[in-house]
Amino acid sequence: MKSVVSHQASTPQGTTDSLGSKLRRKRKNGVAGYAFVSGYFILLALFGIAPAVYAICLAFTSTGGHVVGLSNFIKTGEDFRFLPAFENIAEYLSIWLASLVVIVIGLALMLHSISRKVSAAFRFIFYLPGALAGAASVLVWLFMLDPTVSPWRLFLGIFDFKNLGQTILPGHLPIIFAIIAFWAGAGGWIVVTYGALNNIPNELIEAAELDGAGPMQTALRIKLPLIKKWITFMLILAFAAGTQLFVEPQLVGEASLGLISPTWSPNELAYYFAFQNNNFNYAAAISVDLLVIGLLCAAVLVFRTKLFEVE
Amino acid sequence: MRIFNRVWSRTLSYIVLLAFTAFFMVPVIWLLFSPFKTDHQLVTENPFALGTLENLGHAVRVMFTFEDYSLLNWLKNSAIYSFGGIAIALIFSIPAGYGLAHTQFIGRRTLLGVTLFVMIMPATALVLPLFLEANSVHAVGTPLSVILPFSFFPFGVYLAYIFYSSSVPKDLLAAARIDGCNEWNVFRRIALPLARPIIALVTFFAFVANWNNFFLPFVMLPNSTNYPLPIGLQDLLSTTPAFNPGQGGQVGIYRPELAVATIVAMAPVMIVFLFAQRSLVSGLLAGSTKE
Amino acid sequence: MAPVSLEKLTKVYPNGFEAVHEFDLEVADGEFMILVGPSGCGKTTAMRMVAGLEEITSGTLRIDGEIMNDVSPRDRDIAMVFQNYALYPHMTVGENIGFALKMKHTPKDQIEKKVRETADILGLSEWIDRKPGQLSGGQRQRVAMGRAIVREPKVFLMDEPLSNLDAKLRVQMRAEVARIQRRLGVATIYVTHDQVEAMTMGDRVAVMRAGVVLQCDKPQTIYDHPVNLFVAGFMGSPSMNLFEAHLGEGARTLFLGSQKVELPATVLTAKPSLADFSNKEVVVGIRPESLMIAGTNTNESAKDSVYFEGDVDLVEALGSEILVHFSTDAHRVEAEGMYSDDAEGLNAGSIAQRGEGVARVPPETQLVLGERVRLQVNPKRLFFFDPANGSSLSE
Repeated sequence: MKSVVSHQASTPQGTTDSLGSKLRRKRKNGVAGYAFVSGYFILLALFGIAPAVYAICLAFTSTGGHVVGLSNFIKTGEDFRFLPAFENIAEYLSIWLASLVVIVIGLALMLHSISRKVSAAFRFIFYLPGALAGAASVLVWLFMLDPTVSPWRLFLGIFDFKNLGQTILPGHLPIIFAIIAFWAGAGGWIVVTYGALNNIPNELIEAAELDGAGPMQTALRIKLPLIKKWITFMLILAFAAGTQLFVEPQLVGEASLGLISPTWSPNELAYYFAFQNNNFNYAAAISVDLLVIGLLCAAVLVFRTKLFEVE
Repeated sequence: MRIFNRVWSRTLSYIVLLAFTAFFMVPVIWLLFSPFKTDHQLVTENPFALGTLENLGHAVRVMFTFEDYSLLNWLKNSAIYSFGGIAIALIFSIPAGYGLAHTQFIGRRTLLGVTLFVMIMPATALVLPLFLEANSVHAVGTPLSVILPFSFFPFGVYLAYIFYSSSVPKDLLAAARIDGCNEWNVFRRIALPLARPIIALVTFFAFVANWNNFFLPFVMLPNSTNYPLPIGLQDLLSTTPAFNPGQGGQVGIYRPELAVATIVAMAPVMIVFLFAQRSLVSGLLAGSTKE
Repeated sequence: MAPVSLEKLTKVYPNGFEAVHEFDLEVADGEFMILVGPSGCGKTTAMRMVAGLEEITSGTLRIDGEIMNDVSPRDRDIAMVFQNYALYPHMTVGENIGFALKMKHTPKDQIEKKVRETADILGLSEWIDRKPGQLSGGQRQRVAMGRAIVREPKVFLMDEPLSNLDAKLRVQMRAEVARIQRRLGVATIYVTHDQVEAMTMGDRVAVMRAGVVLQCDKPQTIYDHPVNLFVAGFMGSPSMNLFEAHLGEGARTLFLGSQKVELPATVLTAKPSLADFSNKEVVVGIRPESLMIAGTNTNESAKDSVYFEGDVDLVEALGSEILVHFSTDAHRVEAEGMYSDDAEGLNAGSIAQRGEGVARVPPETQLVLGERVRLQVNPKRLFFFDPANGSSLSE
């Protein structure tokens, strides 16, 4: 009986009642949402947003703390080491990205045309060196590039390299870093590309065969266009990561007896400004340069491709 | 004619694939063989000649006792930084992925967008800014200066988000609500237990990223007792005569010893690779698409 | 007191789409209430508002007399069977069934007892330690049912629970769900798009379209007296033949395409509202089973019957009966919103122009493709609709 009274009392204001409830419900649901993401949000704020903001502040101020506008960017840009560092990176990137497009896609297409089990073995082998990313991979390749111990010594002999110093002459570095990056990173991209190829419905490929396309034509006219967005994805991510080169020139530099500049890559230059010159503002300016490149890449990926359609 | 073509192209495929197998595997195999030989043998003998266990024992002993067991110390540091970072990352990224996928709140889409951006941006881009930040609060040189940045792992949040929004239907959570769960219990009893595969995946990717990270600890940790393995390797490289013949030979670190150190550095990741290869492949794909 | 009562329940989505418009409904104690309609008609949204999974924009929802608009789902004492079952994949069958009881902090031994009883009722005892992933579709469906009935709730909500089963199992489960519901005597709201389920399972049926309830009544009443074209076309399979026609003076003749069909005087006496449509366009409706091939059946008094002609296009022998597809030159009428967009596109084309109809005749009927046949129908079984708004002229 109690319920009858209560509902009769509230019937006249049915609509206002539910309006109020709507607000209340929204808030209640919202509270749960905030609770779930709050921890991550704090991490994001402290280690994602705050450093970026702090770097931007430093980049626009002088060592004394005065706002100096673009002065740090101009001065670092005019530094004699600035342009070479970016040129080095550009050279390295053009080799690395070209090899990604040609070799990674070529290998993925080959793997896709052979039996699944065999290709699984190949994919795993190609992916395995990924375990040695970073310092370990550079160390391994220092052995590989040293003609005195390398298992590739015959191959290195073709170029008449007698010792490590000759192999890692500064002019050779872009291609050497591209080889290292390929060795440690290509496998992952082959797996991704293969997976994308695998997502193409089999009927489509069979239909192409019935329409008279050979393996080559199927690959070029059917498979490639269908995985185009993945190729874009791979190139942008590889480009963004490639601009950040640090450990490779750093370690190879250690082994080069001073032949290689300690400011070979932009990140090394920023590091140099920070720790050799104690000029954090210059370092911040270069960091912001690199940050902008990274942001642009992310923006292209998020807004121009349809890969990250979040609902 | 066509069949002939097909046989040809298949043969060609296999030749190319085998050539690349050699390219990818020879360095790994050589690395595993080299500690069995002396430095002299490495130079004079066939690169794939077998060495002796005695040589291995020597190289391992020299390497491990080097500078008062530095290698073990670096290994320990690497483990602490990597797993410390992973633990915190997991605690926060799984609920965050769930919250982004299945709750409504103001700013949800913005948070998702920012996560995507930070995830795509190379982590190294933030290293110097992070150092400047840590420097301003006098945290440089402490383990936390590495662990905390490691624990911010937007890719993990994204993986969890993709998992929850694609593999956990809203009706499943609705069923739990009707069955009497409040929001916390829906997560705790339904969403969290279902996340087991994604926890493994996030752990794997975070582990590989943290273990191999060079730039961040290199910048944050000036003291050699705090080094993780990658920085330790660089330290070895600069103090041994293996590649710098001019350096003092008294430390006894030559190429076989350096190979031992490299193997120690890569072994954990390699082992994880061997065990996790299946979930890993699916994760590489899931990481970048919602399908 | 009615266990469930909906009063002007309305749902408007943030984008302005009104999914449910002023839905009024009372479900009586133990009643099996069916919401039926084409996809997108708002039936699922209406049910989800009752469950508390969807916010109520305006109107009042009462369960057992108490206003439930703001009560969270877990406090409404309702149980729901989802279309995809929504079984917890990490729990066994037993844990799935017992989960709601566990959330209510029921003592363990009692949970176990109830789960076992429920599993027995549903024939799931063998599978009680299996995970849902190891079960067949039919078994999963039973687990979903079990999860609902173990709670002894005030209301059952079922959202197309049989739509994921294959045809044979669906027929079997249809009867079983109805039987269980009768046995438990719990008020039930059941959403479906399948008019066969609507006809066979429910005590009452509410036919919905575009967020509005068109007719709510006993299934047979709806079948015999549809309030409009849409309901007439939706309920019954194959659906009612609907043709454009012109009614002659005093409702004594009907022009069906080029055919002139004589109507007996009884038509007007039975349906006085037809008088207003003398010399006007109407839509005439004939259920397939009301049509006979003239000369094959001796039971119907040929004198009172109405006749028209059609060409046999296709004969589907189903064993127990034959579906005869015929065409006339009268335009066929499709009730708006009855089909999904694709099918509508097809119907709007040439097929619809040809005025196809279907007759359901005894299996022994002899038919020749392409032959012209005389079709016979009892004038009492004719339906008439206003072409302007689709409403029935039969009363």
